[in-house]
Amino acid sequence: MLLLPLLLAIEFGESDADLVRRLQRRDPRAMAELYDRYGRLTYSLILRVVRDGGIAEDLVQETFLRVWNRVQGFDAERGGLGPWLLAVARNRAIDYLRSSAGRMRNAVELPETEYPALFSDMEKELLNSDRVRRVRVALEKLSENQRAVIELAYFEGLSQAEMAERMSQPLGTVKTWVRTALKSLRDELGTAVTA
Amino acid sequence: MNCGELRDYYELYALGLAEDPEASEIRAHLDRNCPTCVPGVRSARELITQIGAAAPAAEPPARLRKRVLAIAGGQRASLWNWSPVWAAVAAGALIAAVVFNVRAHRASAEFARANTALRQLQVEAVSQARELARLNEAFAILNQPNVKQVGFGGLIPPARKGEPAAPPPRGRIFLDPAGGVLLVASNLPPAPSGKIYEMWVIPKGGKPVPAGLFQSAADGTALHVLPGPVDVAGTAAVAVTVEVAAGAQVPNLPPVFAASL
Repeated sequence: MLLLPLLLAIEFGESDADLVRRLQRRDPRAMAELYDRYGRLTYSLILRVVRDGGIAEDLVQETFLRVWNRVQGFDAERGGLGPWLLAVARNRAIDYLRSSAGRMRNAVELPETEYPALFSDMEKELLNSDRVRRVRVALEKLSENQRAVIELAYFEGLSQAEMAERMSQPLGTVKTWVRTALKSLRDELGTAVTA
Repeated sequence: MNCGELRDYYELYALGLAEDPEASEIRAHLDRNCPTCVPGVRSARELITQIGAAAPAAEPPARLRKRVLAIAGGQRASLWNWSPVWAAVAAGALIAAVVFNVRAHRASAEFARANTALRQLQVEAVSQARELARLNEAFAILNQPNVKQVGFGGLIPPARKGEPAAPPPRGRIFLDPAGGVLLVASNLPPAPSGKIYEMWVIPKGGKPVPAGLFQSAADGTALHVLPGPVDVAGTAAVAVTVEVAAGAQVPNLPPVFAASL
């Protein structure tokens, strides 16, 4: 029930594209709406990566600061705000993991952040609890190893070689798990948005 | 590689697992707005983004909303707020661009000149936007309550023959655990042609870690930001060396200055 006002606002309120335009006009209320729309999702994602509430708070603030600073260059007609924000959040969180573990900083900086057209307009899918439940079910259907490699890649930013080392498995085996897992997810979920 | 060969790597790329040469090839296709690879990678991203959205739901503390909103409200109220200045500059640039374009229609002889000016304004606008982003990152670090700061005074550079000794570089380093490292310096002459300044974060008991390249202004001032979380307690010092323009992975010369924490 708590999500009902949010879903109604998404369904009948302004779109992410409108929100981007207001952020670009430096409207502080737009920042409040951005947080109300994506703050919980961003916090959940970052907390899953860093597993520390205090650090997650810092990184959420940093994520929104980065979006606020860079939104002028974001083309809302070409890319979706939510996926972009989540990509920034994931990058910040994994960057933190890597720096705290002594691994190379920015090693996982995703090049796609330079391509707004790659971020589909997925606000309804990202905030739809039924859709999220389907994703969780699809992940649970994977074998333990397949789920592990997907989570190590997404939530810890490990390369396939790093995963092989972490799991004490041959690199070829890990690559097979990754490919099989991605195919299973694609078959289960398809794509969230029809192009 | 053609699009058909790259198709199998879209999801690996979206997940950050694609390796070269496929990753570079996909980037090249994206750079040229490839009509096959752009929608292909976008579709792959949709799949991968859903993994993040499926992270176990957690309720953020109420104070976090205030912290985030302070980004927007704080900037508006801050003495350091330069946004209106840049907004005015951008508005001026826009007006100038319109004026130039009208003139270009009226007199073809003026078109080339107006177009050049427009491009220059666009270049300046991009440059100003970058500078604004850098300043925002710097001010974000300065505004943090738990920022640690340390001053430094550099080694006195050797005097050139017949000239008085130049004053040593001096300034301060600010370290914010969440925001990064901010360096503010003066008396730092621009690095010679083909060289650049490189900052290093030196962990306790560890080797120097590259922390970004920068150049000082003609008046000897410099401001450099390394954004991102930093382990303040685990940092022994921050130093700056002169390196080749491409930067280095390890320092090759003695530091111009160093600040011990």
